[in-house]
Amino acid sequence: MLKSQKQKDLVMDSIVYLLLSIIALTMLYPFYYVLIASFNKGSDTLLGGMYLWPRSVTFENYRIFLEDPKWMKAFLVTVARTVSGTALGLLLTSLVAYALSHRDLLFSKFYFTLIIFAMYFSGGLIPYYVVLRSLGLLNSFGVYIVPSMLNTFFLLIAISFFREIPGELKESAHMDGAGEFVIYFRIILPVSMPLLATMALFMGVGQWNSWLDSAYFVQSENLRTLTFRMMEIINQSNAPMDSVAVANRPGGGVTSFSLQVTSMVVSILPIICVYPFLQKYFVHGIMLGSVKG
Amino acid sequence: MQLETNLTGAEVHRGQIWKRFKKQRVLHLFVGLGMIFLVIFSYTPMFGILMAFKDYSISDGIKGIFTSDWVGFRYFDEFVHDYQFGKIVRNTLVLCFLKVIFAFPAPIVLAILLNEVKSMPFKRFVQTISYLPHFISWVVVVGVSYAFLSADMGLVNKALLQAGFIDQPLNILTSPNYFWGLAVGSAVWKEMGWWTIIFLAAITGINPSLYEAAEIDGAGRLARIRHITLPGMKGTIVVVLVLTIGSILGGGLVGSNFEQAYLLGNSINNPTSEIVQTYAFKVGLSDGRFSYASAIDLIQSVISVILIFSSNFIAKRVSGSSLF
Repeated sequence: MLKSQKQKDLVMDSIVYLLLSIIALTMLYPFYYVLIASFNKGSDTLLGGMYLWPRSVTFENYRIFLEDPKWMKAFLVTVARTVSGTALGLLLTSLVAYALSHRDLLFSKFYFTLIIFAMYFSGGLIPYYVVLRSLGLLNSFGVYIVPSMLNTFFLLIAISFFREIPGELKESAHMDGAGEFVIYFRIILPVSMPLLATMALFMGVGQWNSWLDSAYFVQSENLRTLTFRMMEIINQSNAPMDSVAVANRPGGGVTSFSLQVTSMVVSILPIICVYPFLQKYFVHGIMLGSVKG
Repeated sequence: MQLETNLTGAEVHRGQIWKRFKKQRVLHLFVGLGMIFLVIFSYTPMFGILMAFKDYSISDGIKGIFTSDWVGFRYFDEFVHDYQFGKIVRNTLVLCFLKVIFAFPAPIVLAILLNEVKSMPFKRFVQTISYLPHFISWVVVVGVSYAFLSADMGLVNKALLQAGFIDQPLNILTSPNYFWGLAVGSAVWKEMGWWTIIFLAAITGINPSLYEAAEIDGAGRLARIRHITLPGMKGTIVVVLVLTIGSILGGGLVGSNFEQAYLLGNSINNPTSEIVQTYAFKVGLSDGRFSYASAIDLIQSVISVILIFSSNFIAKRVSGSSLF
């Protein structure tokens, strides 16, 4: 009886571990394949049959990538929008959250109703476009930054975080004659590092990955983001003949597919780099703001 | 007499409010700054909904939303009679339906599987990897699917051809037959691990003594999953399901329908990949038909709102747990 129970457990364990290993492999291998393809000669990759390591190692893909001003520009725009968009988004969202975290704030019910309503209802893309247009934000770097400065989702999370901070901290500063601005910068922000880190990383990843605004609201070639460029090259190589055309370019063996995987590596790499820090915080962050069963 | 005291009471009260407001003026300044953003980027576009009932032209600017001529339901009527209407509505609904059926249970299954793992390092390893795709943009996900599935350079087709399983490459990316599977598959791949966090948290909240008691009563592991783990997750499952159904037209929790349909769609798989959002985008921003596109957008928003309220209502009735 006991033995058969143990055997059953063993069978069950094996199934669980096998299934999870398959899932993990399915998640991981695509990233690995993209990586080895970016270090392989493009024309050789097209022959197929490369699964575990680069067959014809080359840095040519990265050289073409780095030498192309189009890619470099897109990379710099993406870095600039990620840094400034995250910093400003963090600043405004946390400032507003700080004010709203005061339980005795007048009209707070009205403010909260405005926020919650805006989370559920939206005017849709077309009216939004008209608003951006009349503000003169179309075709400018500001369109990446300004509309995302107030993040309603993180606003609510930040409010509940600030409310956990002991009131004595603020009171003693009040006694010493500190104004709200000083309290916010000198007391609230320094003790809120876990929250700020979570917000910064999510806003940063959002900015880094964003391509819709570049596609909808920007025509200038100088303002294209990395992800937008990637989308462009992916759409191009959708046409099968294109990969051949690029392969004929001097420089040898670089195809649009190999450029595509290279740009993917460049775009994924920063995320992988912040991932360990991200992971430490986001599980808690998600719990904080999300559903309670 | 009584009236008088009431009046003075109100006056005193009003004076107090003003005093409090003056004391809080810096805080209201902070909030006001945020409200300006909210009004500009969330509320002004809501007024833009009027566009759907008007003959709006982009050269009228933002004032044109109010000043242009009313046309009533002309654009709604036009959409319903659009020759693509049936196809678009069908694709939108089928995609949502398939995602609720397949993409919604996937994280629940993963959470239960992970909960059965005793080795912590292995559990952490699988979890860490399963979140990763959530942080990668849809563009990269589509790039990955090209690298694996495209007919001329995709790894899968090359491997199947070399192994002799197929004679002709499968046109997974450029055939209407595969699009729905592709969309659901990529949504599961990208978001499954992420939503597992919430379900694992729900499992963590289950009282461990329940498992001990069940084990003493002779319940096997499958029985424990069925009678303790699943019921323990019920509340969370309901809430996430409500959220999913409410936002399903937008793709919601199981991945953006628009980004998928826009990026994976092409002229060949269009019969199954064109959805309301991509169509509104094309007639709106590409063809410059702003009023028509707003009308299409509005229909979609109204259906979304109806969905979230009705699913919330049903959830409250059926299980007692709900979102609001």
